[in-house]
Amino acid sequence: MTPSLPLAASAPTDAGARGVAAAPALSTVPWQLLATAQRLAPFGGADSVVTADVPAPEAYVAHLARLGHRPRATTDLVEDLAGAGLAGCGGAHVPVALKWRAAAEATGPLTVVANGAESEPLAGKDGTLLRQRPHLVLDGLALAAEALGASRTVVWLHGDDDGARLAVERALAERAAAGARDHGVEVVAGPSHYLAGEATAITRALEGGPPLPRQTRSYRPEPGGPATLVQNVETLARVALAARGVPAMRTALLTLVTARDRRVVEVERGIPLGDVVAAGGVLPPGLQPVAVLLGGYGGAWASWTAVAGIPVAEASFRAAGLTLGAGVVGLLLPGGCGPATTATIAAYLASMSAAQCGPCLFGLPAVAAATAAVASGTVATGRRGAGRSTQLLRDLGADLDAVRGRGAGRHPDGAVRLVASALDVFADDVAAHLAGRPCAGAGRAHLPVPPGPGTAGRRRGVAR
Amino acid sequence: MSGRAAGGERLRVDPARCDGVGQCARLAPDLVSLDRWGYPRVAERPLTEAERPVAERAAKGCPFTALWFQPVR
Repeated sequence: MTPSLPLAASAPTDAGARGVAAAPALSTVPWQLLATAQRLAPFGGADSVVTADVPAPEAYVAHLARLGHRPRATTDLVEDLAGAGLAGCGGAHVPVALKWRAAAEATGPLTVVANGAESEPLAGKDGTLLRQRPHLVLDGLALAAEALGASRTVVWLHGDDDGARLAVERALAERAAAGARDHGVEVVAGPSHYLAGEATAITRALEGGPPLPRQTRSYRPEPGGPATLVQNVETLARVALAARGVPAMRTALLTLVTARDRRVVEVERGIPLGDVVAAGGVLPPGLQPVAVLLGGYGGAWASWTAVAGIPVAEASFRAAGLTLGAGVVGLLLPGGCGPATTATIAAYLASMSAAQCGPCLFGLPAVAAATAAVASGTVATGRRGAGRSTQLLRDLGADLDAVRGRGAGRHPDGAVRLVASALDVFADDVAAHLAGRPCAGAGRAHLPVPPGPGTAGRRRGVAR
Repeated sequence: MSGRAAGGERLRVDPARCDGVGQCARLAPDLVSLDRWGYPRVAERPLTEAERPVAERAAKGCPFTALWFQPVR
């Protein structure tokens, strides 16, 4: 296979006549999800920093002109999805057919959810997709609901994601006017906090509980009880392609992030990550990162030399002991401080805990404080500096072990993965910091980190 | 509870229910230890027949019913 350049990664076109920016050239390739790459504000929703760059959401007529009406879904669709190798795009890469078969076994009322609430503050691909191609997602949602006989269909969004909500609501109005076979889609704005996109939190909220993650005590729903299938919006867009016989997994959506720039790009699977980053439009020509944060805040660090040659495909990253997660690729540039960046993110993650469980409530702040102490490089001062450094690393390791696998949701595990990978990838930097020789970039983060708004969930002691 | 799974059962803690009371560690000290914040850590392995009554006592003794039994498959 000849690797081609990343798709839709070019810079927006120049401003046109009368000061109005010319519309960027939009893709019409059938298997592409995005019309164009999209530059975004450093973190938060998928709103652009430059309004003129943003293409209007694809109209229903344009969507139909491109792909035609969606086929009627039968129970055979799940086999087509298995054949297409369709895996979830929300971060876990679970085969879609696996989840659909489990949902099909439910005897009680089934809710199908299109999850557009990206949990990762750096992720922006789902919000971008909803803003550019809402009909592709809604087609996928309708197909899932029809194939599985759902009684309720929901689009789940972050509470503050007005851009996505408007795009979806307008698209639903267009579809209703055109007589599309939809299933009374509800648009539900969940909370804005970090944990609202976890599938167990969505299921809990739609069943009338608090929108917080939980530990599920059984693998299958109670016989006759309500069941909920949560599928990421990009996954559903790919379902809409697969159902039409269009190659559904030919591309991947990535969010490339530096300290100053964030850009959602669509790339051909199989292109080495190094080529994707070089052509991604977020780095000056010739500049290479020193490390990448794969998967965002809850992901893992890897050195640039370890990942630059890996083709963009989950299987390739798994073979190297890594994962693309939901496609966030944070780029640490030369001069950036890995330990300091990690400490800032760890503090943010500790502040975003749902405060549901002890290991989270006490463990994450302890991990964050120890990471900050490592990053600051101040422990080595004084006579017993070396001994205290060793003790600090030992305590941090013990706290990571104490938190790992013990939360109600996946949030604490993500924080543990982040810090543990930093101690590994930045081992030399950590040693230098602890020896009182912090790097020039110490003291500040070199990836965007929003201010922590405090505890996201309810405080302990409040009715649960 | 229905019949036990062929692979036995594991004792689990639901972290969202647990309030760190520590009663489980007192009732089943061989199965449950407490971390430095007072929250329980339980063994990952399936329970033996001999351990089962002790584990059930710990589960019944939890004021937040945070302990549960997970079938091992």
